[in-house]
Amino acid sequence: MTHNKLIDCMKEKAGLVQAVVSTVSSMEDVLRYAVDLTLQRNSKTIVVPGLDPQSLQELEALCSDAGLTVLQPPFRAHQSQIDTALTGADWAIAETGTLVLDSGSEDLRIATMLSETHIAWIPASRILPDATALSAYLVEKMKTPPGYMSFITGASRTADIERVLAIGVHGPQELHILVMEENPS
Amino acid sequence: MIQTAQDMKTYKDRIRAALGNQFLRKALDNFASSYRVSRAKAFEGIDLDTLKEQIAESKDQALTQLESLFVQFKTRAEAAGAIVHLAATAQQANEIIAKIGRDNGVKTIVKSKSMTAEETHLNDHLEAEGFKVTETDLGEWIIQLRHEGPSHMVMPAIHLSRQQVGTLFGDVTKTPVDLEDIDLMVKVARKELRPAFLAADMGISGTNMAIAETGTLGLISNEGNARLTTTLPRVHVALVGLEKLVPDITAALRIIKVLPKNATGQALTSYVTWITGAVECAASSTGKKILHIVFLDNGRLDLAKDPVFSEALRCIRCGACSNVCPVYGKVGGHTLGHVYIGAIGLILTYFYHGKDNARAIVRNCLNCQACKSVCPVNIDLPYLIKKVYANILRDEGTRPVKNTVLSTVMKNRGLFHSLLKVASNLQKPLVQKDAGVLRHLPFIFGKAHDFRTLPALAEKSFRDQWPKIRPHIKNPAYRVALFGGCVVDFVSPEQAISLVRLLSAHNVQMEYPMAQSCCGLPAMMMAEEETAADVAIQNLEALNSQSHDYILVLCASCGSHLKEGYSKLLAKKPEMKEKLRILHDKLIDFSSFMVNILKVVPESFLQNQTQVAYHSPCHLCRGLGVTREPRALLQTAGLDYTPCKDEDVCCGFGGSYSLEFPEISSEILSQKLDHVENTGADVLVTDCPGCVLQLRGGMDKRNSRIKVRHIAEVVADNLKNP
Repeated sequence: MTHNKLIDCMKEKAGLVQAVVSTVSSMEDVLRYAVDLTLQRNSKTIVVPGLDPQSLQELEALCSDAGLTVLQPPFRAHQSQIDTALTGADWAIAETGTLVLDSGSEDLRIATMLSETHIAWIPASRILPDATALSAYLVEKMKTPPGYMSFITGASRTADIERVLAIGVHGPQELHILVMEENPS
Repeated sequence: MIQTAQDMKTYKDRIRAALGNQFLRKALDNFASSYRVSRAKAFEGIDLDTLKEQIAESKDQALTQLESLFVQFKTRAEAAGAIVHLAATAQQANEIIAKIGRDNGVKTIVKSKSMTAEETHLNDHLEAEGFKVTETDLGEWIIQLRHEGPSHMVMPAIHLSRQQVGTLFGDVTKTPVDLEDIDLMVKVARKELRPAFLAADMGISGTNMAIAETGTLGLISNEGNARLTTTLPRVHVALVGLEKLVPDITAALRIIKVLPKNATGQALTSYVTWITGAVECAASSTGKKILHIVFLDNGRLDLAKDPVFSEALRCIRCGACSNVCPVYGKVGGHTLGHVYIGAIGLILTYFYHGKDNARAIVRNCLNCQACKSVCPVNIDLPYLIKKVYANILRDEGTRPVKNTVLSTVMKNRGLFHSLLKVASNLQKPLVQKDAGVLRHLPFIFGKAHDFRTLPALAEKSFRDQWPKIRPHIKNPAYRVALFGGCVVDFVSPEQAISLVRLLSAHNVQMEYPMAQSCCGLPAMMMAEEETAADVAIQNLEALNSQSHDYILVLCASCGSHLKEGYSKLLAKKPEMKEKLRILHDKLIDFSSFMVNILKVVPESFLQNQTQVAYHSPCHLCRGLGVTREPRALLQTAGLDYTPCKDEDVCCGFGGSYSLEFPEISSEILSQKLDHVENTGADVLVTDCPGCVLQLRGGMDKRNSRIKVRHIAEVVADNLKNP
């Protein structure tokens, strides 16, 4: 698969499982997206586990202008107050529209499990065709324990009542994927 | 508490009750239809057969080395900070887990879905020990609140309506719930269960794959509750059946590629989680998760060494065998299973929950092969179900009278065939002559059997007619032997006579080896394997002639049993190997012979374009893998083939099944006939005399204008020069 086809496939498959997929070209876009979406949802708080210090500073400035709060780790202290979680993803699997997050950090896990909305950005260059292409990485990670690796495909869902699909039973009610194309054609 | 019927009388009462549940039937029916579509779509572009073989092979390989994989897993996982246990029995597993709870001062527990925990009745044990246990998978929570077991391995509450769930949630939350709004009910569960997650001291999960190479647990889930269960509480206990051990990530990824697609037609579940060792956890005093992994034997190590049954341990719990089972579709999982549900449940119940719980349910299999055809790890489910039944008969040392009678009669072909002749005379007062059916059912049949008219035995069997009608073809293009089967020979000789006409018209010399007997499938269905093997040998001898180019069957069930069943039955008889090979090579069904060997052409047939619907017999489409030829033949023979919904779903006959479970057989048949009537066709065609018997009996009972005929009959009737 060519690079562009991989990106298209990723977008299509993630869309099929009710993820909202957009293309962005910079970290600034990502931060702005998170702030805008949080405002649109009438939400108040954002968590950003593992964000680089410079971006964190920019986000805090944006949030402060918008009247939002960036919650500080450890997130266990805020476990009932997390509205938006903004995280990166380590890899993506185009075949199934899946995000792969190395979730060894408890803060990352809590952010992606207890938030109402999860926004994840993924560099286009980190999109792989299928899970098999990831096995070497997975083995390497598993051989350096402890570890908690997550594949995330769409938002939390259930069909346990009359097989009717319902989104957001336990995990985030929305998943937004921002594909970062540094040189979008 | 799960209470499975332990005798046939109780079981039949349960079946009648289940059949009366209209909601259940509708829900399961809708699911069965949509599942077929979404599964096919999910596997588009994937070489499923190869993938299935790879997984089965890798599972079989792992099963031969479970002990060493366990040691490897334990070493790796403990090096990564986990504590690994091995429980010999269900009771021991429950005790280990309760002790972990006590040792860690645990009061409250959240659980994510685990069939293995259902197997050990873990919740009952923990609750009796004073722990508060909350199931967090939505379906599991619902059935926990209702104090019942799952009715499906993937969708535990599929038997319940939104109104039932809404009412239940209203009672639990003491707030009225809109009984139509499922989204809202899901939000109620989210709101009610969140505090349980946040407060829990311990989380218990199952595991889908345990990777020995790295000591990693692989969990798949849609709701996200498994992630919360394994993250928030300070203690995590994973309960793992030993058969979940796989050597490496490659094997694990293969399972993930198949499981969600085969379970629900999903490309992948929302979450796949890989846990290796004790990760950071601020709720624990050490800052590390307290991780215990409890492996469960409960008979698995013995089962893994069993030459026949070990393949049952390949199961990856996708639940597909329930999804496609016509019986499941009518009665649901509480009636077709104990803890484990559906075809695999009928097998595993015997090994994990004892013969008392398996005794009745194991008989409820049509042998339609639908489960086998969708099993992602190629378990021969129908075969193993019959083997379990045979084991139970052996364990109990008593056989139903009908089994003894059948075995005695069937082993002796002369006796069997003369009894049929006697019966043909005895039935005379009951026969409606012009129709060839029994006007009254003999007294041994109860009212439940009245859903179809039964055919009369033919006045003169095919074998008695044969010497007079045997054609003599000069310089034939082929010489073929017909394996007739009991129904063709003694009930519907006209089907074989049609074949004679067709073959003669195409310059083919047919023979009817007179020493042939019943194929033996009825004996297999009643778990009389020794008898089945006995008649198999008789037939192999009867059919073993160098002079036939092909052995033809008009009955798909006989054909499939001759081709596949015999090799399993006679696997331990090397002296039969060559004869089996020849049979295997020469055996061909009627349609394939006409289309692929004779290559019949439209010019030979009247093109009257009679509108026909087609029923694809289980043992033809799945047993022999023939799907294209019958439809092609209908078109070549000048008939207007009109596709019908669920053509390849069983008609509910199943030989002796329809006598044992007439109420279920009747429901399956009725749905089939509805589909056929909806096509507007004038004739329903199929290529198995057993199906003809069932379908014709049902159409007759509903006074339908639609005629039911064997494909050989309709094709012969359209011959231009008969």
